[in-house]
Amino acid sequence: MKSKKLLGLLMGSALVVSTFTGCGNSGGSEQGASAQASQTGDKVQPADTETSQAEKVTLTMLIDTDITLKGFQEVAKLAEEKLGISVEIETRPGGADGDTLVKTRLASGDMADICLYNSGALLSALNPAEYFLDLSSQDWIDRLDETYRKTVSIDGATYGVPYSSSQAGAILYSKPLYEELGLKVPNTWDEFIANCDVIKAAGKTAIVGTFADSWTAQVLYLGDHYNVLAGDPTFPEKFEAGEAKYATNSAALRSWEKLVQTSPYYNSDYLATTYDDGCDIMANAEAGHWVMLTQALSNIYELYGDKVNDIGVFGIPGDTDTGLTAWMPSSFYVNKNSDKVEDVLRFLEFYTTEEALDAYTSAVLPDGPYCIKNYQIPENGYDAVKEDMQAYFDAGKTSVALEFQTAVKGPNCPAICQEAVLGQKSALDYANAYDADCLKQAVQLGLNWK
Amino acid sequence: MKNEKKLYLIGDIVGLLGALIIFIIPFGFMFINSLKERREANLLNMNWPETLQWVNYKEVFTANNSIVLTAFKNSILLTLGAVVVLIMVCSMAGYVLQRRRDKLCGFLNALVLSGLMVPPAILPTIWMMQRLGIYKTLWGMILIEVALQIPFTIMLYRGFMNAIPVELEEAGYIDGCTRVSLFTQIVFPLLKPVTATVVILNAATIFNDFTNPLYFLPGSKNATVQLTLYNFMGQYSSSYNLLFADVIIITLPMLVLFIFFNKRIVAGMVAGAVKG
Amino acid sequence: MDKKKIYSNWFLVPAMTIFIVMFLVPMVISLFFSLTVWNFRDYTFVGLDNFKMFLTEASLNIGIKNTLIYAILTCLLKVVLAFFIANFLTSKIKTKNILRSVIFFPNLVSTIAVGITFAALMHPSKGLLNATLGVLGIGPINWLGDPGLALYSVIGTDVWKGVGVATVIYIAGIQAIDRTYYEAAAIDGASKWQQLKAITFPLCRPAMNSIIILAFVGGMRSFDLIWSMTGGGPGFATDVVASIVYKQYGAGFYGLSTAGNVIMFIMIGVLAFPLQKFLLSKEVDG
Repeated sequence: MKSKKLLGLLMGSALVVSTFTGCGNSGGSEQGASAQASQTGDKVQPADTETSQAEKVTLTMLIDTDITLKGFQEVAKLAEEKLGISVEIETRPGGADGDTLVKTRLASGDMADICLYNSGALLSALNPAEYFLDLSSQDWIDRLDETYRKTVSIDGATYGVPYSSSQAGAILYSKPLYEELGLKVPNTWDEFIANCDVIKAAGKTAIVGTFADSWTAQVLYLGDHYNVLAGDPTFPEKFEAGEAKYATNSAALRSWEKLVQTSPYYNSDYLATTYDDGCDIMANAEAGHWVMLTQALSNIYELYGDKVNDIGVFGIPGDTDTGLTAWMPSSFYVNKNSDKVEDVLRFLEFYTTEEALDAYTSAVLPDGPYCIKNYQIPENGYDAVKEDMQAYFDAGKTSVALEFQTAVKGPNCPAICQEAVLGQKSALDYANAYDADCLKQAVQLGLNWK
Repeated sequence: MKNEKKLYLIGDIVGLLGALIIFIIPFGFMFINSLKERREANLLNMNWPETLQWVNYKEVFTANNSIVLTAFKNSILLTLGAVVVLIMVCSMAGYVLQRRRDKLCGFLNALVLSGLMVPPAILPTIWMMQRLGIYKTLWGMILIEVALQIPFTIMLYRGFMNAIPVELEEAGYIDGCTRVSLFTQIVFPLLKPVTATVVILNAATIFNDFTNPLYFLPGSKNATVQLTLYNFMGQYSSSYNLLFADVIIITLPMLVLFIFFNKRIVAGMVAGAVKG
Repeated sequence: MDKKKIYSNWFLVPAMTIFIVMFLVPMVISLFFSLTVWNFRDYTFVGLDNFKMFLTEASLNIGIKNTLIYAILTCLLKVVLAFFIANFLTSKIKTKNILRSVIFFPNLVSTIAVGITFAALMHPSKGLLNATLGVLGIGPINWLGDPGLALYSVIGTDVWKGVGVATVIYIAGIQAIDRTYYEAAAIDGASKWQQLKAITFPLCRPAMNSIIILAFVGGMRSFDLIWSMTGGGPGFATDVVASIVYKQYGAGFYGLSTAGNVIMFIMIGVLAFPLQKFLLSKEVDG
């Protein structure tokens, strides 16, 4: 409360200064300029009122350019026919630029009607109770899968509706290359490294690194979470309480060791190779592995069609066994202060119906199971999803990533992982650096660490 | 003498070659790749395109509901507005700051210099704009750009004033000119060369500004040209051919401005920035 | 003549008002928040903790070192290169007008666009730069991927883009020099090099000082070129204070972020103001 008063005072004094000048303008040319400018300002405005007067409702949605729109557009088309709701998309950059923009717009009270953003830890960092509508009282909210729902719920309130299917952070491998070199899908980390050695010896890229998009560097560390849990099931709680650290917990430190261990196996230009390049490289069997989110399957499908089935998936191997770390999709969040809340809710309700999901799948095939109860993966899904991934789910060998279990995620994770892959220091150094990064997040969230 | 001529000829050739390699090639690279097909462009070489894809330019213009056109309108209004305001307020301020040498002006000089050095504080600025009711308006954005460019622009005007003899103003004063007409009729016309410099340098800075419009002028209706680059940089659509086509398109206005003002840039700098 | 009467303070009011309201006041407000953990709605006062964190944590204080390297090197290179280019372009060569235009033009191109283009040219396996060097049997050099080299690759690009302005300021300075000095020197038998040293260099002093200050301060604040070329990476190898401030802001650490802003301000203040004083005093001596 104090902060508001102080600000008010400062702002107030500034206002006095500005009115004072309003009178003081001696040069006639000054006033001419401001009159002109307010005219141009007026011209811009009518566009806004036009849309709200029309019978149909138009909602605005803020979305990052990194996300595939095809499935959404199918659903939106249907919603326009059936509900008379059209959605106008405002794009924002992804990555750090996008985070900055979302936070700035929330803080300044200028969010679109719907905000699309990550689930899990990154959602908590937005302080959602302040800005987003609690959906837990909606009668359709039970359609959401429980595991998913937990990742968009804070203190009993549910904020999100899933944008797409879930996916996994795993290792994509090239089936043709595996066949050519007579390799088998590895079940342990050592077998995986042995496979990499074989591929490297054959003069091919063992693992393709796409770290020009720095977020891709963290998939190995984040995707190793199933194994961390296998080693220490209580790690997430202890971590959130500030009791367990990556540097001191042996199961967790292992993730960083693995990251450093992959260092010799990447393509030489891995820091300049982009996610897009990665899709091309995997589709053309130019590399053995890619540690990536399975959403890449959809991108490869878009570019290369059925070649997508040349690619298989296995979880990041543990020391004795392998499981799969699952990712929850980005979610729609409803701007609490929107004047169209009712329409937004109608739209989201529709988005979770089977009809809408069918429309979605007609354009984009799922990269993992859906987060809506009882909705099945379609027959024509990718082999990697239908066979490889489903096997883990059937065997119960899956967990969600750490960022969906705790609110703490160090914002510099991509950069630290990128450094770790360079492998110039020890795994322990990187784990320490990441712990320090998480501490900053914990302090910001008001957790009592240390 | 003959030797000297030869030397200059060699200088010409070396200079042109150097410029070609260091300055022309990057632009040629952008242009050639803007005419390629996506996969061909991703190879990032200077080979001539297999087929010229002029359609890339069309695609850039029509992408995302022709956001590029909206962005052009916004950027041009923003640049024009801010430059006009800057010329008016800074020429007056630079004039007085150079002529008066009292404590207040010394203090203001230091204050302005600090503005050259400190990055803007984003959130408090947004709050301020909301209080004034100018957040998310082009007018508000113009004021922000003006505030950010005031230090540099005042510096240029103040420096240029050094070269203008004070006798003219004294004569005008004795002839009974008012303070305002003294400035508008006598001094301002003399500032023409430096005004040209101000126009081109500020127009370039503001037209090319990326971060500030991102914060202070959100909303797709308000997009400025630099933000359109993001349409072609996303993870699902990263395509160098369209990206470079967009780069070329948004560089053209600067090229036009440059051709127009080219000869005057140096003239304005004479004694301008020189006597910072 | 009454200076106060002719040069009315009213002339200062419009510029100062915009500057104070839109820039200075928000900045002062942010000073306060650098002492807090802040999430917009409320804050906890933490004293100098943010500053301590900034100065002690490796991922943060690497920016301070990089900022200094970046500012000093870009400044130095621009000042030296532009001096020779400007002399070249004020000599009697025929193509000087074209060359002046060519060298100045990159300054008008958007920094983001330049960053994207040079990152492509510097691509380690496909880029034109390495392809050319490869023909000469050099490389491949990992321009932006080698943590020890990346910062210098960005510095090179910055100089490429910014040397034009420095050159133009020098040209202005050189053209203002009275031709008779050169004629006299030529009669005395001074060589071109001696003329450059004894006449052009000292008489360009004021121009050079402006360039030093502008380039140095510009270098300290530089951010978008680094951001578009490397994003601060690989790891944190090319992070400067401005990019760290931006990242902390993006992460939602508003207190820490504003503290970084204040550190940047102090750094610039501590270095740039004395630098300018020093340069001006030299000018008077010369």
